[in-house]
Amino acid sequence: MSALRVENLAVRSRQGTILHPVSFALEPGTTVTVIGETGAGKTILAEAILGILPAELSASGTVCLAGAAFAAEERARAGLWGRTVTLLPQEPWSALDPLMRARAQVFEVLRAVHRRPRSAARAEARRELAALGLAGEGRKYPWQLSGGMAQRAALAATRATGARVLIADEPTKGLDLALRDAVVALLAAERDAGRAVLVITHDLAVAEALGGRILVLRQGRVVEEGQTREVLRAPRHPYTAALLAARPETWAPRALPQVGEAVVKARGLACRLGGRVLFDGFDLTLGEAETVAAIGPSGVGKTTLGNLLVGLMRPDRGTVARRPGLASVRFQKLWQDPPAAFAPHITLRRALADVCRRHDVAWAEAERLLAALGLSPCLLERRPDQVSGGELQRVALLRALLVRPVFLFADEPTSRLDLLTQAETLRLLADLAAERRVALFLVTHDPAIARALAHRVITLGA
Amino acid sequence: MSGRRVAGAVLFGAVAAFAALGPEVVAADPARQSLADYLTPPGGAWLLGTDHLGRSLLARLAHAARLSLFLAAVCVFSAALPGTLLGILAAWAGGLVDRALSALADAVLALPGLLLVLLIASFAPGRFWPLQVGFALTLAVEFFRVVRGTSQRILAGPAVEASRLLGFGPLYIVRRHLWPDLAPLIGTLAALSAAACVLGMAALGFVGIGLRPPEADWGLMMTELFPYHAEAPWAIAQPIALLFLTVLGLLLLAGRERA
Repeated sequence: MSALRVENLAVRSRQGTILHPVSFALEPGTTVTVIGETGAGKTILAEAILGILPAELSASGTVCLAGAAFAAEERARAGLWGRTVTLLPQEPWSALDPLMRARAQVFEVLRAVHRRPRSAARAEARRELAALGLAGEGRKYPWQLSGGMAQRAALAATRATGARVLIADEPTKGLDLALRDAVVALLAAERDAGRAVLVITHDLAVAEALGGRILVLRQGRVVEEGQTREVLRAPRHPYTAALLAARPETWAPRALPQVGEAVVKARGLACRLGGRVLFDGFDLTLGEAETVAAIGPSGVGKTTLGNLLVGLMRPDRGTVARRPGLASVRFQKLWQDPPAAFAPHITLRRALADVCRRHDVAWAEAERLLAALGLSPCLLERRPDQVSGGELQRVALLRALLVRPVFLFADEPTSRLDLLTQAETLRLLADLAAERRVALFLVTHDPAIARALAHRVITLGA
Repeated sequence: MSGRRVAGAVLFGAVAAFAALGPEVVAADPARQSLADYLTPPGGAWLLGTDHLGRSLLARLAHAARLSLFLAAVCVFSAALPGTLLGILAAWAGGLVDRALSALADAVLALPGLLLVLLIASFAPGRFWPLQVGFALTLAVEFFRVVRGTSQRILAGPAVEASRLLGFGPLYIVRRHLWPDLAPLIGTLAALSAAACVLGMAALGFVGIGLRPPEADWGLMMTELFPYHAEAPWAIAQPIALLFLTVLGLLLLAGRERA
């Protein structure tokens, strides 16, 4: 008997269909991965299975859990939450209660769901955390845990329910490679322990590592499904093929431009953050049109290094020497989260016009760049929150290029973007940097991106 | 604008119009006594009746409204301006400046607001300026704290970092980054502060500190009419009702827009 069976599950809003009918079955001890980009309807699918859709959406179809069939619209399966089916939510830091210690959050599940006696629950909570390598961390609050530890703490609370169906919504979002692999290993362990695991992700590597079956979701429609290995090896739908081709691992090597004279030289840099030494005696030189990529786990000081080079921070020791005669404004930065890098209340046109006025740049230059970046002029009338992340990152690139930078620090510029958008954005970034002979310091968590784009790759924290 | 805010604007607008136009329209002198007509009920020659000295309640209410709202406006302005500027300064400068200003704000907060006003009022009894300084000081702390907190968050964000890197100066950052977020907060705080000020002034008048008779002030009117509350409940109800409508109007106006 399937642990979870979904038949013709569809979701509609007043404006139209958000999720076209989906059917699949999930057996105990196996995984199904739902893959798709932002807005494909992945999270809506999870919410429809659980019965926690927002009130303005309506669902149809059938969801069978633990042998009982429920109409998708019914609320009756609320009784199964935490017992038969459980959700590992996105963004563990916000999913955990910020005012409760990690162990108390697991303890609470055992008390409330399984009515365990206090002492037994306490011992079991300790065991659950220890099993996930959090033995010493039970007394910490979520904000004292790293992203990976918080993810494991959330998983411990989820596991404590003992539910047979585990739904994981973007479990690797915002994690670096090492943590991503660790989370995937945890999910695989849950599967091997006999649980049915439904994973929702935008990351093809997660799907590949978990195996099982895959559903490729695009704009609310399943465009392809099958055994993960076969779908990834020989995709039948063009969209799946495009997704696979957008993976940095498969990019063709670029012809890198000739490196010119040095733009910035860092000598003997030392920096500490929060009492921790990030690096000491670090040397780095970037020349014109040179791309240097920095990789390494989160928190190792990649962003700090970039901020030192661009002049946003001062080193504790050492020097950052720029080529004489360059104004400081010609050292620019791209941020990880595009919407956060714009003033939220003004239109993009106003933001760009302000830059033009400040630096006596003709507006025609902005329009030329707009075309070069493939951006529609009507975007300019919108505010930053009304534009997609990929488009906004291109506007941020445009804004930086307006002041004719010689050095650009790109801080994980595409880590929040979808695969296809990432490929497009990075291609434009590399093309324009080469064409305008900008030195590019690219921070990324993906070694494949670093290898594909950079003259040199430095690994921090190795 | 939500319905609540419209209701608040209408209420407060009506009181403000009464304060602005009332003293001109109402011919009666608020201080003129007519002992034969004491405690006349509303209606007839005296539209809202008379008080225990036979003075026109309508005229007194109008003059009191003008005085109360004027004092409140002066207080709010003299609280908002330094509070906002110092809040931005503390968030911007950080370090020692921030700590010194925050310590000062905490010291003011440590005293109950009205007690502080009383303390300052004792320097010059019966005068207006100590009241105003006292209120402005307590209210400025609220502006300071809210503006400082919000500014700190915005100034630490990547958007401001981007503007600095692009060569924009402090004025630009205040105008484009801080002000759009601060303005609605300051508006809300101003309405709340005005309400607190009107209430505080009435409370001071009621306990006999603040303005002196025969000046007409809502608090003073309540004190004077209090002994007659059994015979003439409608008389004391009038300043109370006006005070209530003013505060309600301001609070509705201050209410957050629902998302």
